[in-house]
Amino acid sequence: MSVSHQLELRVHLPLDRFDVDVDLLLTRHVTAIFGASGSGKTSLLECIAGLRNGVRGRIRLDDQVWLDRDARVRVPPTGRDIGFVPQEGLLFPHLDVRENLATGARRARLRGFEVEAHTREIVDMLDIGHLLHRRVTTLSGGERQRVSLARALCSGPRLLLLDEPMAAIDAGLRRRVLPFLRKVRDRFEIPILLISHDPLEVQALCDEVVVLRDGKSVAQGDPRVVFADPKVLPGAAGQGLFNFMEGIVARTEDGFSVVLLGGPGGLELITPPAASRVGEKVLLGVPADDLLLARQRLEGVSASNLLPATVAAITPSGALRIVHLTVVPELPPFLATLTERSCLALQLAPGVQVFVAAKASSFKLFEAGVAAD
Amino acid sequence: MSTALWLTLQTSALAVMLIVLPCVLLAYVLARYQFHGKGIVSGLVGMPLVMPPTAVGYLLLRFLADDGWLGSGGVDLDLDILLTWRATVVACAVMATPLLVRTARVAFEGVDPRLEAMAHTLGISRTRTFFRFTLPLAFRGLAAAVILAFTRAIGEFGATITIAGNIPGKTQTLSTAIFTAQQVGNDAEAYALLGVSLTVGFLAILSSEWLVQQRPAPRRRS
Repeated sequence: MSVSHQLELRVHLPLDRFDVDVDLLLTRHVTAIFGASGSGKTSLLECIAGLRNGVRGRIRLDDQVWLDRDARVRVPPTGRDIGFVPQEGLLFPHLDVRENLATGARRARLRGFEVEAHTREIVDMLDIGHLLHRRVTTLSGGERQRVSLARALCSGPRLLLLDEPMAAIDAGLRRRVLPFLRKVRDRFEIPILLISHDPLEVQALCDEVVVLRDGKSVAQGDPRVVFADPKVLPGAAGQGLFNFMEGIVARTEDGFSVVLLGGPGGLELITPPAASRVGEKVLLGVPADDLLLARQRLEGVSASNLLPATVAAITPSGALRIVHLTVVPELPPFLATLTERSCLALQLAPGVQVFVAAKASSFKLFEAGVAAD
Repeated sequence: MSTALWLTLQTSALAVMLIVLPCVLLAYVLARYQFHGKGIVSGLVGMPLVMPPTAVGYLLLRFLADDGWLGSGGVDLDLDILLTWRATVVACAVMATPLLVRTARVAFEGVDPRLEAMAHTLGISRTRTFFRFTLPLAFRGLAAAVILAFTRAIGEFGATITIAGNIPGKTQTLSTAIFTAQQVGNDAEAYALLGVSLTVGFLAILSSEWLVQQRPAPRRRS
């Protein structure tokens, strides 16, 4: 989906331990602000939403200037047309789900949305139709996040701000929320800014990542390039890299599923059993660390997946090497992390034919639990 | 006796109605905003809580007397307050104010300011946010504050007797009537008044409990 927008963030905000000080121009559809907790991520988001005082600099989305200290412009949060999804959801406890969704209806109408149809579409997309009359205090963590996301979308925002949308959800449920976020991304052209400390989340959702450390931007770019940089994930170099791919469930048998990549006649992967029905779309993730490479077709190994591939490139990542592998020509290359020693032993170089071996259980399935559209 | 009860309920209710709006707004300002002199404002409002009620009464007397600071001795307003039911209202209002402001402030402080910020990001103006989100979310605490202020007004004695006197049928309230009955040794009257006080107090507590147990707004469940 082609999205053209510009989010200019020149922000200076003094905090207790350090200053948030960034100068960014974000033009991609989904951008992550990545950093450890206490790196100033949420403060930056609050600056954009207009919830912080004492911010200096300039914040602009396309032709809308929200903050310009020199020109004495400071648009209050009520006028910034932002969809804000905070970590804990922050649903209004005195309203039920339907009323929560309606809180931004005024703005949506002003921005030209057909509110009823718009809301219905979002409710269907995020699968919260059965929750509409529930009190928000009775919702589970995953439901709360979906309703919070729906409330933001229903208000017809120009920019979606997600503050660690999955941090307050336990690990099992995260896998179920991720597909919803991807649906939102694929359906709406609204630029999305996502805060995260989870490399998996960033790679599954974002086109670009900005790494924040003590309030300063230390890296910016394609997640698969940025996370390969040993300086970004010190102590875990190479371990933060994931391969994500969308596939279609071809069949499910006792204890495993077969997922088809790259359309009919494409590549078949053996994965853990999928909850989705045959023909439905699923998201697959496999850590780059979990892929084994062999020069010959392996015989008698327990790994269920053995995929012929061609080495496209090899890039260094500290002491490790990241091997880019073309498995299905239409899909982005798979990444595998190897030691330099293994690379030499296998005499890997661009153009070399190899086999990629992976256990079925290395593939994590991300399923919404609802039919994909 | 029934006149005293009726007068007490009327003046107390009127006193609370007079102060509820300014007190709730002040409580909100004290709960949400930082400004110079905030401590002084908060302290001044709290004074009637820590001063002897008769001292507050005397201060009011100095303000409201015909030759007082608001009368010919100062601003020269034509006041006809002292020793009338209006004085009872004034005394109750002044004495109930600190309780109302403090309790309402706590109620507002119990509302997560991030919920208000959330409403702002959804494009809802500050005024609308106050009425549609802050007020309903603080509702239980505010209701408790109003009931507390009302019961405080019903029990008001010191300031009332100082500026309104104790004129049966005119300014005599429940508490001053009990005082009179006990002073003249009319135990039957005192017992009856005691019974009335107990009933009124208990009803007030019951209704506040009932209010607090109500959800801010009743909703369907699925």
